[in-house]
Amino acid sequence: MNQFITAVLTSLSSGAIYALMSISLVLVWRSTRVINFTQAGQAVLTTYIGYGVIQKTGSYWIALAAAVIGGALIGAVIDRFFMRPIFKRITSGPIALIAPVVATLGLLGIIQASIGIIWGISYQSIEAPVSTDGFDINGQVIAFNRFNLFVLATVTVTMLLLTILFQRTNIGLALRASAYSPEIAKLSGIKVDAVRTFGWAIAGAASGLAGMLYIPGYYLYPNAMDLLLVFGFIAAVIGGLDSLIGAVVGAMILGFGLSFSRTYISTEILFPTAFILLIVVLLIKPDGIFSAKKKRGA
Amino acid sequence: MTSSKRRLITFVIIGWVLLLISDHVGPLRLYQGSYVATYTLAVASIILLTGYSGQLSLGHGALMAVGAYAGALAIDKATLNPILGLIVATFVAGLFGLILGFAVARLSGPYLAGTTLALAVALPTLANEFEILGGQQGLPFDVGSSPERFGEEFSQYKWYFWICALAALIMIWWIANLVSGKYGRTYRALRDNPIAAELSGINVGRQKVIAFAISSGAAGLSGGLLVILLGGVSPSAFPLGVSFFLLTGAIITGLYNLKGVILGGLILVALPEIADSLASRIGESEGLTNSLPDLLVSALLILAVVFTPNGPGQILKRHHSK
Repeated sequence: MNQFITAVLTSLSSGAIYALMSISLVLVWRSTRVINFTQAGQAVLTTYIGYGVIQKTGSYWIALAAAVIGGALIGAVIDRFFMRPIFKRITSGPIALIAPVVATLGLLGIIQASIGIIWGISYQSIEAPVSTDGFDINGQVIAFNRFNLFVLATVTVTMLLLTILFQRTNIGLALRASAYSPEIAKLSGIKVDAVRTFGWAIAGAASGLAGMLYIPGYYLYPNAMDLLLVFGFIAAVIGGLDSLIGAVVGAMILGFGLSFSRTYISTEILFPTAFILLIVVLLIKPDGIFSAKKKRGA
Repeated sequence: MTSSKRRLITFVIIGWVLLLISDHVGPLRLYQGSYVATYTLAVASIILLTGYSGQLSLGHGALMAVGAYAGALAIDKATLNPILGLIVATFVAGLFGLILGFAVARLSGPYLAGTTLALAVALPTLANEFEILGGQQGLPFDVGSSPERFGEEFSQYKWYFWICALAALIMIWWIANLVSGKYGRTYRALRDNPIAAELSGINVGRQKVIAFAISSGAAGLSGGLLVILLGGVSPSAFPLGVSFFLLTGAIITGLYNLKGVILGGLILVALPEIADSLASRIGESEGLTNSLPDLLVSALLILAVVFTPNGPGQILKRHHSK
């Protein structure tokens, strides 16, 4: 029974982190029609910034704030000074479909290699700000701790804030409008380019948060977020790539799938489980669970 | 003379010249030459898939791993002749690609890219699960020493070079024939305008699956060649970086032209060497020596895709037309 409870709880907290990644991917996808592979680089770079802040100040909380703000800035800068010029330059031909994706991959490589040069490639660790001793249930210690709870709470609050932003504010309306139909949004007086950069900034902040919440249980190194990127992508596809709610639900499905297969089958089959989940969803419902009515195009 | 005959003669001459050259260069150059041949084949398989049939794969390393493991099993467990092992590698990877192609060929753009990326992450870890695949240690991929009739003088490296160069030449020759014929026209039609292609009676899905299978087969063969050079196959032989590395080679070469494909192989072998010597000149730090090659590859990838998306030939052509 305890094993089951533990599996459910860890599903929730790991699913919460996947959700941050998948939301970042979906936000960028909706506004730019690009799967932003740089996301892993943005997340790991902001976490290194957080790590640097911890070295200086000793406070996880200041580092968390720095990572989130830094993540937003980095996201905005990447869109404004990297993606936008590329889109302006390459507009036609078959390469136009491939170039932006490849560019995000290249930028991912540059960020990771630069981190390796600046901070080195050895493993670093970030101490969790709260206890990581497992909770005690009826005298038995389970693999779910205060920090996992903190992760779950933080992500829940973040989701609520994002929902308010998207549903209740003007900028949220502009974001949704430019994602739905950039042309009409432009005609209605929305500065689509600026709104897009804002979307990238939110995505960057979310991935910074994801990094700071993920790393305390693991180690920090230049490629530390690659797997999180893959999981975030799978979650986003399960949810339909276009839907923010879908991204969260997809992340939870993935979190449960992985956590239960780890608890009840084997720790080694994590990636195969994720991949099989992805293929099954693509075969049965290629548009994802929360698909928009549009057919999936390039 | 038809163009296919001319191509055959060209390839035979290239092969003959390469074998002649192999008599006159040292073991290091032969070893590097083997890598050039292997990477060139891998890059050609990506050009076929991404350039010609328009499917972006970020997981070619996984397809190479399938071929490498299949070949290693055939040689190590079924005690097949190593050359037959390479053929097994090609066909098993091709079959794998065929099955995978059915699942993913209807996906476009980002979905395909992400799915193949997930495959590249998932597949190597699977090898740890099966004892027959040798776990972390992996399996040997031993092509043995050269046949006795080649004489005592025939070095091991020359043998590697002969295998890699000939295998790559034969496979690339076949791909070149394929893309210059009916299939090539079909793929170009598919890539440039899938809807128009479908309206003119092309079975889009089937063509994409076929392209996937052939590209996988070629990737599987190059995977087999790569692990000959590495001395064996293990999960760590095909990290995610390999897939990106090869994609970079394909983009630098130009995705839409098979002619310059050797350039991709040459650059992929030369770049790490250049980066190494640069790194040792700048400093001795571990981070620098490890990360500088990646930095160069990634920078080159971005520059290539932004400035010469259709390959370096594009610049030459532009100068001509001025």
